[in-house]
Amino acid sequence: MSILSLNLICKLDHFTLQINQTLELKGITGIYGHSGSGKSTLLRIIAGLNNHAVGQLSFNELSLQSNSLKNNNLQKKAIFIPPQKRNFSLVFQDSRLFPHLNVRENLIFAAKRCKNSQLNLDDVIKLTELSPLAEKPVTILSGGEQQRVALARAILAEPELLLLDEPLSALDQKSKTNILQLLKNIQNQLNIPMLYVSHSLDELQQVADKLMVISQGEVINFGAIHQVIHQLNFQTDNQTSYQQTSLSLPIKMDNEQPQNNHGLATLSLDDGQEIYLPLHLLPDTLQAKTLETEKIQPETIHSKTIPSKTIKNKKSHNQLTLRCFILASDISLCKTESNNSSIVNHLVGVISKILITDHNVLVTINCAEQEFFASISSFSLDRLALKPEQTIYMQFKASAVRTFIH
Amino acid sequence: MLAMDADLLALLTTFKVASLTTLILLLLGTPIAWFLAKMNSRFKVILEAIVALPLILPPTVLGFYLLLAFSPQSLPGQLWQQGTGQQLAFSFSAIIIGSVLYSLPFVVQPLQKAFEQLGDHLLEAGAVLGAGPIDRFFHIVLPLTKASFITAASLGFAHTVGEFGVVLMIGGNIPGETRVLSIALFDHVEAFNYTKAHLLAGGLLIGSMILLALIYLINYQPKQVRR
Repeated sequence: MSILSLNLICKLDHFTLQINQTLELKGITGIYGHSGSGKSTLLRIIAGLNNHAVGQLSFNELSLQSNSLKNNNLQKKAIFIPPQKRNFSLVFQDSRLFPHLNVRENLIFAAKRCKNSQLNLDDVIKLTELSPLAEKPVTILSGGEQQRVALARAILAEPELLLLDEPLSALDQKSKTNILQLLKNIQNQLNIPMLYVSHSLDELQQVADKLMVISQGEVINFGAIHQVIHQLNFQTDNQTSYQQTSLSLPIKMDNEQPQNNHGLATLSLDDGQEIYLPLHLLPDTLQAKTLETEKIQPETIHSKTIPSKTIKNKKSHNQLTLRCFILASDISLCKTESNNSSIVNHLVGVISKILITDHNVLVTINCAEQEFFASISSFSLDRLALKPEQTIYMQFKASAVRTFIH
Repeated sequence: MLAMDADLLALLTTFKVASLTTLILLLLGTPIAWFLAKMNSRFKVILEAIVALPLILPPTVLGFYLLLAFSPQSLPGQLWQQGTGQQLAFSFSAIIIGSVLYSLPFVVQPLQKAFEQLGDHLLEAGAVLGAGPIDRFFHIVLPLTKASFITAASLGFAHTVGEFGVVLMIGGNIPGETRVLSIALFDHVEAFNYTKAHLLAGGLLIGSMILLALIYLINYQPKQVRR
């Protein structure tokens, strides 16, 4: 595991970025905040592209930056390691491919400058599905294709930390889904720690393991992804994200015959209750398998213990899980079990908390060791006379289970 | 026949002066252009004005001040004489220095514009991939601003070939050393030798025309159709 330690101050136009945080980087760490919250600046400071910050920055005990405002002579000499010596890669929002080089040459540019290259160029081209584009000029590629090249190029630099600065924000929905899946594959196979900056909680919800929330230049939350997203539900002044239940649940694979599953897939909760959702939300490969009712091929993963860093397929017996979320506004509550509704999802749980803001009520329900969030009106709260510790039935449509807001 | 040889000598001198000046200008002008392109201070305009000065200043003004500076009585001329043992004024070195100053904007301006247009985006991308400043210059900046370098070099060369006033003031008219084509032409006209004047003038005209056409040809890019 890599450790990034930040103790930085950077004056921006409207506020001061002030970060004092030690990040244990494993998997993908999301940095979330609305536009202009300072998250991209933070990423540029980490990459070494912004030298206006003052303070300490170190990666695995190696100091990358150390300076202070009062640089008196008694103090140790200021340290600032330039970006090319940091061994971090950065994927920019706007790809920034070299227009005078074709796809393959762009990738070679990175591979050639990599200190101890262990990745094979062709393996990475295959992993990022760039084979048909390898000899094309980058200027004729679509946005999604360009970002795939940028990602491949960043990987080929074999960074100790991969920084992603809003990598999907310029792409259409289909390309977004593609790149997110690709990021997950890369994470599984190469195990590079990543810092992923985005203003879209949906994106981060799909890929991040941990989430850091930045507002007005300060970290206001940091922790496991679902937990942090749930904490955001209680921030009543939060205008940028929806109140939601964020889930990571095992996909139930022993489905009935495809003609009988009605285009629905099933997720299992700990206590045996199930959530139905549209089959098309599963990754393409899984959809096909579910339809064939085949035994699932284990996901390809890569472990760092393999001496050579070449991409290998390693069998795992990990249960396949799906990241999804349900908006609090999509869940309705009922005091009795309803048996004749077209709504397919019915879960029973216990109310743990009721938060009233104006006329909106956020009800937290414990169900199978999992928190669910439903927003109802104060009118319904009064009518149903809901109280904590009360048993309650949640209802939501299969289509209320989402992986992305389309 | 001797006169013809003198013209050939002048042609050769001109070629030597222009080539050397262009080379020095590229080596000197590139860092100046880079510095100006990246500079973010109010003093930038002053530096830009100084670089652009030869564009509007009569060459004789520049020549006059250079002549004063190069004379053994002034400090630069003295230092030169102490260092090299030769007089600076009316020497080949003098017209090289004069030409470099005189043609500076023709090299710096296109390069500065190209560097400004290129921006920092691709350089940042190169940096995070491990490319240091020199590496970035040769593998990102140079290939992407190639056309501007060709333009700058050609304009610098052509403008040096065409100079007259500065050379006349500081170089005099020494065959094989400071007697360049434009001065040879002036001599012919003064001597009412219009045939030879025509030869030189016509030659310069056609040569310059071809050079400029070549620059535009190199920089000509057919509109790309996105397929």
